[in-house]
Amino acid sequence: MIIGLDVGGTYTDAVLLDGGRVVMKNKAPTDDSRLLNSLINALDPLLENAGKENLERIVLSTTLITNLIATEGMDRAALVIIPGPGLQPDAFDYRVEDIFLLSGAVDYLGREIEPLNEKEIRTCAAEIGGRGIRDAAVVGKFSQRNNAHERRVAGILEEEVPGLRVVLGHRVTGRLNFPRRVYTSLLTLATRDKFRGFYSGILDLLEKKGITAPLYILKADGGTLAFDLAAEKPVETILSGPAAGVLGALALHPPGTTSVVVDIGGTTTDLSLILSGKPLLASRGARIGGRLTHVRSFAAGSTAVGGDSALRIEDGALKIMPYREGPAFCLGGPCPTPTDAMRTANLTELGDGRKAAAAMEMMGRRLGLDARRTADLVLVETVKRIAAAIEKMFSAWEEEPLYRIWELRQERNARPQNLVGIGAASPGLLPLLGKETGCGALIPPDADVANAVGAALARVNLRLTFHFDTERDFYFIEENGVQGRSADVDSLADAEDFSLRKLKGEGARIGVPGGSEPEIVYSEMFNMVRGGRTAGRLIDVCVQFPAGIIGRREGGDS
Amino acid sequence: MKTRKTGLVFFPAFDWAISPAHPEREERLLYTRDQLFEEGVMDLPQLLEFKPRAATKKDIARAHFCVPDIEAQATDAHLYAAGGALVLADALMKREIDNGFALVRPPGHHAMRIVHGNRGFCNINNEAIMVEYLRAKHGLRKVAVVDTDVHHGDGTQDIYYHDPDVLFISFHQDGRTLYPGSGFCDELGGPGAFGLNINIPLLPRTTDEGIHYILDNLVLPILDDFKPDLVVNSAGQDNHYTDPLADMRFTARGYAELNEKLAPHLAVLEGGYAIETALPYVNTGIILAMAGLDYSRVREPGYRPEDFRETPENMEYVKRLAESLRGVWNDRERLGKRAYPRLEKFEETGRSIYYDTDGIREQRRESARLCGECPGYQVIRSSGTGPDARTRTVEAVAVHGRACESCRAEALECYEGLKKSAIRPGAVYLQDKPRDRYFRFSADGEVEIGDD
Repeated sequence: MIIGLDVGGTYTDAVLLDGGRVVMKNKAPTDDSRLLNSLINALDPLLENAGKENLERIVLSTTLITNLIATEGMDRAALVIIPGPGLQPDAFDYRVEDIFLLSGAVDYLGREIEPLNEKEIRTCAAEIGGRGIRDAAVVGKFSQRNNAHERRVAGILEEEVPGLRVVLGHRVTGRLNFPRRVYTSLLTLATRDKFRGFYSGILDLLEKKGITAPLYILKADGGTLAFDLAAEKPVETILSGPAAGVLGALALHPPGTTSVVVDIGGTTTDLSLILSGKPLLASRGARIGGRLTHVRSFAAGSTAVGGDSALRIEDGALKIMPYREGPAFCLGGPCPTPTDAMRTANLTELGDGRKAAAAMEMMGRRLGLDARRTADLVLVETVKRIAAAIEKMFSAWEEEPLYRIWELRQERNARPQNLVGIGAASPGLLPLLGKETGCGALIPPDADVANAVGAALARVNLRLTFHFDTERDFYFIEENGVQGRSADVDSLADAEDFSLRKLKGEGARIGVPGGSEPEIVYSEMFNMVRGGRTAGRLIDVCVQFPAGIIGRREGGDS
Repeated sequence: MKTRKTGLVFFPAFDWAISPAHPEREERLLYTRDQLFEEGVMDLPQLLEFKPRAATKKDIARAHFCVPDIEAQATDAHLYAAGGALVLADALMKREIDNGFALVRPPGHHAMRIVHGNRGFCNINNEAIMVEYLRAKHGLRKVAVVDTDVHHGDGTQDIYYHDPDVLFISFHQDGRTLYPGSGFCDELGGPGAFGLNINIPLLPRTTDEGIHYILDNLVLPILDDFKPDLVVNSAGQDNHYTDPLADMRFTARGYAELNEKLAPHLAVLEGGYAIETALPYVNTGIILAMAGLDYSRVREPGYRPEDFRETPENMEYVKRLAESLRGVWNDRERLGKRAYPRLEKFEETGRSIYYDTDGIREQRRESARLCGECPGYQVIRSSGTGPDARTRTVEAVAVHGRACESCRAEALECYEGLKKSAIRPGAVYLQDKPRDRYFRFSADGEVEIGDD
């Protein structure tokens, strides 16, 4: 049996799965100040039911780390960057006070084009030490293609400032995009301690209960990872909550179809896409705290409307406000909401029907409509707003820039067949939304705990992107910063073999289940021609054990 | 305040090459990609990235007569490169962007009105296709195209040689020392557009200083005077001091400053083959300059400003050149009347054009209808002989978008006549720009070229 846990902002949900079937579910309020207690409250009844010896594993999804950063902010950290030529380093605001710019540069092929200045580094170290800063991120432009500068700077800083903890950019991510690497490195610093604290708290707690089942955590890309391994890169578990919802919906939607996962909450509706059975990943990396990062995550759309959105009449027209003033009027709240409209139209049994009707009537008077017609108008407007956001998400996907002829030839013009509704306000609105968009509306039976179901069903995944430079006899892996000699790699086939071999090795280390099939996501080769002759080859190969859910193999992406 | 937006189409065509070791190969924009992506420029709020679309046959037919047909000359790569520029043109007209850069390949500025094959790495002219699209779809009238490639933009010159609404300015390394061997000061435009084709041949090794002198003292004042609705930069990057195919001394900084001063509405990449030492830096510089961002840190490895001073002798040449061309510009009406006294109804010219990539020799006869009321039309007869000694001959009638009704009627009559006398198996073409309709007549009958 598997337990899935989702620590949300309001509730902590737990489900117990047996052979992919939900045998028990439980909801407990989340108490931010006593998180572990909330967790135990949700978990306890399930543990009793399952019997601890029958538990295969426990999988956790949470927005907790994101929330902690949002509420507590980041600890003071020094940002030491080696920006080299190009954009002004202040073109992006990293919201860090202690920024140090160092000379030195490497280019896109990892060649040193400007040496470091050791004196400058020692001055920087003295400054960091003097200010009593204990954490530092060292990030260089193109450091993934040659990490010597980052390593040398870190070496000097550690030597000069005893106890300083340094994160190196190339270890965080080797994907191109220096500003995002900087920000992701800062997030890595910010999440590390918080994650470890949370992790050891949970371990203690489970130990006290005598639970020995392994603990996993969901990542933003929909794969799981053993908790201790996740501690190496906690930043990847940021946003695992929304990923869990998509996986939960995936488990509950017809295989191979194209669907929109619609999570209608209090004041926002969150959207994700499942294209021909595969969740769509964000092409640009997750946006966290308003900043783009290198964290791989599902593509997310959102619109500021939900069951609790405040409704207003302005200039004789209905307005859906992007905020809430409290619960729905029918639940004792201060102002009319879409939930009151749903109640009046008999789409939900929530709250007091007479109060809901009164709320609609109050607004209707100013529109010249009776309560029922006002409710219909509210529902139409709400549904239209969400339908527009769905359309926008599809067109954004269609309009994503592509850089190869073969990619452009494959025209993107999918539209959803189904809407899968999760979240509290979905049951009432989804049928209307289905009518508006011409889609089937599916409300899975366990939609109220979809995130926890998704977490429980998630599998261990692994994606590695190799970059070979045969002229330099060099390769690196984007995801983990590993660098080495490319040895005998001289063709695309060599590179693919090499990458798959490494993938299998790393897969075994992190516990990708036996029987998983590795796949090549993409591979591409460029000849480097100098003076009319081939000087070497640049080869990119991305291989993976795809994310997905147990029982179905659909989480792969491209 | 609304953020100023610069549109970008990046279409590096990573799966297209003329041949494996050709300068126009898959690798050409690879390091530019690396630099732009690593800089994170696409994440800047000032930048808006667009996906290219495929240009339609009609888009191409507005600018070209392709032999034997459009399919033979424009592959998918060409369609996306040209279409990338069109996407930005639309975005500009919809005011989604304030300016835009189509960082696309393959290039186009050597592609002339008649296309028998590839010349100077070009098959179809991305700028001309864009300008024609803007005129047909968005009603623009006056356009200036400034060609900042090191090679003379002979294709663009050819397409607009008779067009009084398009000012074409090209500065380039002197045609005596570089392909395509044209672009001299006396190529000033046809009888209806005299003085609106300005060539500025610069001596090899001209630096930032010389080029900026030309910009400040010749190009910008002429643009001020012409007052175009739209300025296009035909943005080659091979004036760069490390370019392997040319011999100029322009820098990334120089290119960035040029774009800041020129402030083109739309820029379209042309040549530039120092794919490691120039393109990553030049492209970054151009994008930042167009977006109004600080480009002062954009510099090539080892760049030292003091290496790019002009010699006194060359500066003297540059100054004299600027002065004399300013004189020609100011006096263009009088000089035009002298060059083309307009004694006949038609001005007849002939020329021979060589297609270096495909080894084709084109012989062309052109006759331009001179009209006192409008820009008239041209009738062209062109024969292309390939290395196999086979010759294809086509005839074409090109009616200007502002042609008067009587000229248009005359041109249509001429087209009908050519259809009757057509040399088989040739083809006869009609560009009926006042109606935005395009026809091709061959042994298989007449076909209207539409939006696919």
